[in-house]
Amino acid sequence: MRKLLLGAALSALMTGSAFAQNIGVSMALFDDNFLTVLRNGMVDYAKTLDGVTLQVEDAQNDVAKQQSQVQNFIASGVDAIVVNPVDTDATVALSKIAADAGIPLVYVNREPVNAAELPANQSFVGSDEKESGTLETQEVCRLLKEAGKTEANIVVMMGELSNQAARQRTQDVHDVIATPECSFMKIVEEQTANWQRTQASDLMTNWLSAGVQFDAIVSNNDEMAIGAIQALKAAGKDTSKEIIGGVDATQDALAAMKAGDLKVTVFQDAAGQGQGAVDTALKIAKGEKVDSKVYIPFKLVTPANVDEYLSKN
Amino acid sequence: MTEAANPTKASDAPPIRRNRPAEINVLIGLIVIALIFEVLGWLVQGQSFLANVERLRIMILQVSVVGIIAIGVTQVIITGGIDLSSGSVVGATAMIAMSFAQVSTYPRAVFPALTDLPVIVPIAVGLGCGLLAGLVNGLLIAHTKIPSFIATLGMMVTARGIAKWYTKGQPVSFPTDGYAAIGAGMTPVLIFIAVAILFQLILRYTIYGRHTYAIGSNEQASRVSGINVERHLILVYVVAGLLAGLAGVVLSARGLTAQSGMGVMYELDAIAMAVIGGTSLAGGRGSIAGTTLGMLIFGVIISGFTFLRIDAYYQEMLKGLIIVGAVVLDVYRQRYRGRN
Repeated sequence: MRKLLLGAALSALMTGSAFAQNIGVSMALFDDNFLTVLRNGMVDYAKTLDGVTLQVEDAQNDVAKQQSQVQNFIASGVDAIVVNPVDTDATVALSKIAADAGIPLVYVNREPVNAAELPANQSFVGSDEKESGTLETQEVCRLLKEAGKTEANIVVMMGELSNQAARQRTQDVHDVIATPECSFMKIVEEQTANWQRTQASDLMTNWLSAGVQFDAIVSNNDEMAIGAIQALKAAGKDTSKEIIGGVDATQDALAAMKAGDLKVTVFQDAAGQGQGAVDTALKIAKGEKVDSKVYIPFKLVTPANVDEYLSKN
Repeated sequence: MTEAANPTKASDAPPIRRNRPAEINVLIGLIVIALIFEVLGWLVQGQSFLANVERLRIMILQVSVVGIIAIGVTQVIITGGIDLSSGSVVGATAMIAMSFAQVSTYPRAVFPALTDLPVIVPIAVGLGCGLLAGLVNGLLIAHTKIPSFIATLGMMVTARGIAKWYTKGQPVSFPTDGYAAIGAGMTPVLIFIAVAILFQLILRYTIYGRHTYAIGSNEQASRVSGINVERHLILVYVVAGLLAGLAGVVLSARGLTAQSGMGVMYELDAIAMAVIGGTSLAGGRGSIAGTTLGMLIFGVIISGFTFLRIDAYYQEMLKGLIIVGAVVLDVYRQRYRGRN
């Protein structure tokens, strides 16, 4: 009984601020650099808006936890929900829960499996994951051509195998190689280093010790590319001459690019995605029409334009 | 296997044979696994797996940080406890230590006023944080009598929370050259070896060691025979925390970065290394030498998989099988020897 009263009092309190917009945010996980930039992008943006409050929760990479968080948001009467999905295949259930409650739902960064058939008051804000690996591999291809290669061996470092971005970016590498312009490239090794720098460094050292010959490294993210650079340096190689590509344009990666080690990275506008998600959520909550997919474009970063990105992510 | 390794018949062997150190079995396991990779190497890749200095180095280097943790975890397991917090403590201490090791030229340092500090500061901070985490574990276990599984599970969750909260999830990078040197080249291996030898000797030849085994064999008997069990348990968990802190420092120096997700699952790898190395989860049995061999088995497997170009999807499945298989074999060997 007391719980019931407390609940009633709480919900009265929440509905008390009727004109304010409360947005519940469930992030897949907090301890991820990129998602942290995205999360801070949302929080910082919300601070600039009058009457918009965010309640950000950490789903700790747990699908069930994320679902409970969404249900808790609904129960506490938020005006809109932003979900950064733990698993892009587990979004059908989330969409149904939000649709049944009639509360706007915006997915951010990771494209849900049901993106094509989202209900009217739901949307996906992110970047077209296909762009990132494609931009990266095309630039690596261009650099190899520039170096006068007619045949080139490349090694691929994959992110976590269970992750959609890792699968897509790896597929992008294959797709680019399948085009006639880049068909001179050949994948000689393809292994996972779970997005981690030290694991990538160990993987590269293992490759070097196995005598693997390669002309370029294509990594699913920057952290692993940096790990590869560290391993090459430790083995006494001149990394300024190696063609190494990553994705994310993290601060560490941009520093590595300034130092002449990393040649290619792709900027995904994390803060822009966060801001876009909050904007889209507010629009739906106000009853405005939005596209079911709102794309924030990727951008290729090379030593030529690296300075523009130094202060972004 | 026992007879093949020993020319004299088992029945002729003196009773002391039964106390042949468990490490020998693990060593045999390590050699067998390495030889399997060696043979497959020649068959599949047409080159030697072991006769490659670079590969031998990476085999040890890639497991040395978890190895440092495993030295502490082994001692905890010998007392009959378990430490689930070490991986998270690595993450938290890496973040905190690194924030005191940044260079002044990096504009986004965590403490802009505290850059370019002498290397001893971040080391002391890292070790101090680890020690503190271990002390909390130890006090909880010794004085509230809650199971070590629960106390260290709490620390595991809390320490990971601290790692994320500390910089709101942002990575901490760009350490001073002095700090980077801790993780450069084979230094992590040297640190591991120094710590391993130290604790192998301590466990074998000091009162600390004898008490550790005694408590794990029979806590009640240890108490009756005058050992201050509570105080000793606290000390063991402090040592484990301290080593996790050291691992956090080494890991962040090696990667030149600290990230809140660092060390995830390290505690389980460390426990697996100890158990493969002959440490009994029931307590009272185990050694640092055994754990070191368990660690080397991990290193050989990781490098071997990459060497044989085993598909990434199969690697984890095989690793799990090898962990369980190694322990099952050990259990059978124990039973066999017990009957003799």
